[in-house]
Amino acid sequence: MSEREVDEVRKLLKKFVPTVRDTELRRDLWPAMLKRMEQPPVHVPWWDWALLAGVALLFCLFPGMIPALLYHL
Amino acid sequence: MNRHPYLRAYLAGIAVPTVFLLIVMSAYTVIRYVYAVPLAIEKVIVFPMAGVPNAWGLWNVLYAAFGRRHISLGLFGGALPLLLAPGGYVVTRLLGFSVPEHVLSVAPFALPVGLILYYLVWKYFVGFLNAELGIA
Repeated sequence: MSEREVDEVRKLLKKFVPTVRDTELRRDLWPAMLKRMEQPPVHVPWWDWALLAGVALLFCLFPGMIPALLYHL
Repeated sequence: MNRHPYLRAYLAGIAVPTVFLLIVMSAYTVIRYVYAVPLAIEKVIVFPMAGVPNAWGLWNVLYAAFGRRHISLGLFGGALPLLLAPGGYVVTRLLGFSVPEHVLSVAPFALPVGLILYYLVWKYFVGFLNAELGIA
Protein backbone atom coordinates (compact mmCIF):
# COMPACT_ATOMS: atom_id res chain seq x y z
CA MET A 1 0.00 0.00 0.00
CA SER A 2 1.49 3.32 -1.07
CA GLU A 3 1.74 6.41 1.12
CA ARG A 4 -1.03 8.08 -0.83
CA GLU A 5 -3.38 5.13 -0.28
CA VAL A 6 -2.59 5.12 3.42
CA ASP A 7 -3.49 8.82 3.56
CA GLU A 8 -6.75 8.15 1.76
CA VAL A 9 -7.66 5.37 4.15
CA ARG A 10 -6.80 7.63 7.09
CA LYS A 11 -9.02 10.39 5.72
CA LEU A 12 -11.88 7.96 5.09
CA LEU A 13 -11.59 6.54 8.58
CA LYS A 14 -11.60 10.01 10.11
CA LYS A 15 -14.59 10.92 8.00
CA PHE A 16 -16.78 7.91 8.77
CA VAL A 17 -15.71 6.77 12.22
CA PRO A 18 -16.97 9.32 14.72
CA THR A 19 -14.59 10.65 17.32
CA VAL A 20 -15.27 9.17 20.74
CA ARG A 21 -16.02 11.87 23.26
CA ASP A 22 -16.80 11.66 26.94
CA THR A 23 -14.65 8.63 27.61
CA GLU A 24 -14.70 9.12 31.38
CA LEU A 25 -16.82 6.78 33.51
CA ARG A 26 -20.07 8.29 34.67
CA ARG A 27 -19.41 7.21 38.23
CA ASP A 28 -16.56 5.86 40.28
CA LEU A 29 -16.77 2.06 40.35
CA TRP A 30 -14.17 1.52 43.06
CA PRO A 31 -16.49 2.22 46.08
CA ALA A 32 -18.94 -0.39 44.76
CA MET A 33 -16.06 -2.83 44.39
CA LEU A 34 -14.93 -2.17 47.98
CA LYS A 35 -18.49 -2.61 49.21
CA ARG A 36 -18.74 -5.95 47.42
CA MET A 37 -15.41 -7.14 48.86
CA GLU A 38 -16.52 -6.23 52.39
CA GLN A 39 -19.76 -8.21 52.15
CA PRO A 40 -19.79 -11.27 54.43
CA PRO A 41 -20.05 -14.68 52.76
CA VAL A 42 -23.52 -16.19 52.41
CA HIS A 43 -24.73 -17.49 55.76
CA VAL A 44 -27.05 -20.49 55.64
CA PRO A 45 -29.11 -20.77 58.86
CA TRP A 46 -29.41 -24.14 60.57
CA TRP A 47 -33.13 -24.53 59.74
CA ASP A 48 -32.38 -24.37 56.03
CA TRP A 49 -29.84 -27.18 56.46
CA ALA A 50 -32.51 -29.09 58.42
CA LEU A 51 -35.04 -28.61 55.62
CA LEU A 52 -32.52 -29.81 53.05
CA ALA A 53 -31.70 -32.87 55.14
CA GLY A 54 -35.42 -33.62 55.54
CA VAL A 55 -35.91 -33.40 51.78
CA ALA A 56 -32.95 -35.71 51.16
CA LEU A 57 -34.37 -38.20 53.67
CA LEU A 58 -37.80 -38.13 51.98
CA PHE A 59 -36.13 -38.70 48.60
CA CYS A 60 -34.52 -41.82 50.02
CA LEU A 61 -37.77 -43.04 51.57
CA PHE A 62 -40.02 -42.20 48.60
CA PRO A 63 -37.96 -42.16 45.38
CA GLY A 64 -41.19 -42.24 43.36
CA MET A 65 -41.67 -38.53 44.03
CA ILE A 66 -38.47 -37.57 42.19
CA PRO A 67 -39.97 -37.75 38.65
CA ALA A 68 -43.01 -35.75 39.78
CA LEU A 69 -40.77 -33.04 41.22
CA LEU A 70 -38.51 -32.98 38.16
CA TYR A 71 -41.63 -32.47 36.05
CA HIS A 72 -42.50 -29.35 38.03
CA LEU A 73 -39.03 -27.84 38.42
CA MET B 1 -28.63 -0.10 36.65
CA ASN B 2 -32.08 1.43 36.84
CA ARG B 3 -33.49 0.55 33.45
CA HIS B 4 -36.00 -2.20 32.72
CA PRO B 5 -36.27 -3.68 36.24
CA TYR B 6 -39.07 -6.06 35.24
CA LEU B 7 -37.13 -7.40 32.28
CA ARG B 8 -34.18 -8.06 34.59
CA ALA B 9 -36.50 -9.72 37.11
CA TYR B 10 -37.93 -11.95 34.38
CA LEU B 11 -34.47 -12.97 33.19
CA ALA B 12 -33.29 -13.68 36.74
CA GLY B 13 -36.40 -15.79 37.27
CA ILE B 14 -36.12 -17.99 34.19
CA ALA B 15 -32.37 -18.57 34.55
CA VAL B 16 -32.49 -21.25 37.24
CA PRO B 17 -35.14 -23.58 35.73
CA THR B 18 -33.64 -23.11 32.26
CA VAL B 19 -30.24 -24.36 33.42
CA PHE B 20 -31.83 -27.13 35.46
CA LEU B 21 -33.97 -28.16 32.48
CA LEU B 22 -30.82 -28.98 30.52
CA ILE B 23 -29.87 -31.55 33.17
CA VAL B 24 -33.39 -32.96 33.39
CA MET B 25 -33.76 -33.25 29.62
CA SER B 26 -30.38 -34.96 29.28
CA ALA B 27 -31.36 -37.49 31.94
CA TYR B 28 -34.76 -37.98 30.34
CA THR B 29 -33.26 -38.53 26.87
CA VAL B 30 -30.87 -41.17 28.22
CA ILE B 31 -33.66 -42.94 30.14
CA ARG B 32 -36.13 -42.83 27.27
CA TYR B 33 -33.94 -43.59 24.27
CA VAL B 34 -30.90 -45.41 25.65
CA TYR B 35 -32.68 -47.57 28.22
CA ALA B 36 -35.98 -47.58 26.24
CA VAL B 37 -38.20 -46.89 29.25
CA PRO B 38 -41.82 -46.93 27.97
CA LEU B 39 -42.95 -43.58 29.36
CA ALA B 40 -44.10 -41.13 26.69
CA ILE B 41 -43.24 -37.91 28.53
CA GLU B 42 -42.78 -36.12 25.20
CA LYS B 43 -46.57 -35.75 25.14
CA VAL B 44 -46.51 -33.46 28.17
CA ILE B 45 -42.95 -32.13 28.00
CA VAL B 46 -44.25 -28.72 26.93
CA PHE B 47 -45.18 -27.98 30.53
CA PRO B 48 -41.69 -28.21 32.09
CA MET B 49 -40.00 -26.89 28.94
CA ALA B 50 -42.11 -23.80 28.35
CA GLY B 51 -44.58 -23.36 31.17
CA VAL B 52 -42.35 -23.72 34.21
CA PRO B 53 -39.48 -21.36 33.22
CA ASN B 54 -41.96 -18.69 32.12
CA ALA B 55 -43.88 -19.11 35.35
CA TRP B 56 -40.64 -18.55 37.29
CA GLY B 57 -39.86 -15.43 35.28
CA LEU B 58 -43.32 -13.97 35.70
CA TRP B 59 -43.38 -14.90 39.40
CA ASN B 60 -40.15 -12.98 39.89
CA VAL B 61 -41.62 -10.01 38.02
CA LEU B 62 -44.58 -10.13 40.41
CA TYR B 63 -42.16 -10.21 43.32
CA ALA B 64 -40.21 -7.25 41.96
CA ALA B 65 -43.43 -5.31 41.39
CA PHE B 66 -45.43 -6.07 44.53
CA GLY B 67 -43.84 -8.58 46.86
CA ARG B 68 -40.42 -7.39 47.87
CA ARG B 69 -41.62 -4.88 50.43
CA HIS B 70 -43.97 -7.31 52.15
CA ILE B 71 -42.57 -10.84 51.99
CA SER B 72 -39.23 -12.61 51.73
CA LEU B 73 -38.20 -14.01 48.35
CA GLY B 74 -37.93 -17.54 49.75
CA LEU B 75 -41.51 -17.60 50.97
CA PHE B 76 -42.80 -15.91 47.83
CA GLY B 77 -41.02 -18.41 45.55
CA GLY B 78 -41.97 -21.27 47.84
CA ALA B 79 -45.62 -20.59 47.10
CA LEU B 80 -45.18 -21.11 43.35
CA PRO B 81 -45.68 -24.94 43.50
CA LEU B 82 -49.21 -24.25 44.75
CA LEU B 83 -49.92 -23.01 41.22
CA LEU B 84 -47.57 -25.27 39.27
CA ALA B 85 -48.64 -28.59 40.80
CA PRO B 86 -52.30 -28.33 39.78
CA GLY B 87 -51.25 -26.76 36.48
CA GLY B 88 -48.98 -29.69 35.69
CA TYR B 89 -51.66 -32.16 36.64
CA VAL B 90 -54.22 -30.42 34.42
CA VAL B 91 -51.79 -30.56 31.48
CA THR B 92 -51.31 -34.31 31.94
CA ARG B 93 -55.09 -34.82 32.06
CA LEU B 94 -55.79 -32.61 29.03
CA LEU B 95 -53.18 -34.40 26.94
CA GLY B 96 -54.26 -37.85 28.02
CA PHE B 97 -51.00 -38.75 29.76
CA SER B 98 -51.42 -41.47 32.35
CA VAL B 99 -49.29 -40.72 35.40
CA PRO B 100 -47.70 -43.92 36.77
CA GLU B 101 -49.42 -45.27 39.89
CA HIS B 102 -46.29 -45.17 42.06
CA VAL B 103 -45.84 -41.46 41.26
CA LEU B 104 -49.46 -40.65 42.15
CA SER B 105 -49.19 -42.57 45.41
CA VAL B 106 -46.41 -40.30 46.72
CA ALA B 107 -48.11 -37.05 45.67
CA PRO B 108 -49.08 -36.11 49.29
CA PHE B 109 -45.37 -36.15 50.18
CA ALA B 110 -44.22 -34.55 46.95
CA LEU B 111 -46.09 -31.27 47.46
CA PRO B 112 -44.46 -30.31 50.80
CA VAL B 113 -41.09 -31.44 49.47
CA GLY B 114 -41.66 -29.26 46.40
CA LEU B 115 -42.57 -26.31 48.62
CA ILE B 116 -39.36 -26.74 50.63
CA LEU B 117 -37.19 -27.14 47.54
CA TYR B 118 -38.73 -24.08 45.90
CA TYR B 119 -38.24 -22.10 49.11
CA LEU B 120 -34.54 -22.99 49.21
CA VAL B 121 -33.90 -22.48 45.49
CA TRP B 122 -35.69 -19.13 45.42
CA LYS B 123 -34.03 -17.94 48.59
CA TYR B 124 -30.46 -18.73 47.52
CA PHE B 125 -30.28 -19.06 43.73
CA VAL B 126 -32.90 -16.61 42.50
CA GLY B 127 -32.00 -14.30 45.40
CA PHE B 128 -28.37 -14.31 44.26
CA LEU B 129 -29.36 -13.51 40.67
CA ASN B 130 -31.74 -10.76 41.83
CA ALA B 131 -28.94 -9.20 43.87
CA GLU B 132 -26.51 -9.42 40.95
CA LEU B 133 -28.99 -7.75 38.62
CA GLY B 134 -29.85 -5.04 41.11
CA ILE B 135 -33.42 -6.15 41.78
CA ALA B 136 -33.23 -7.13 45.44
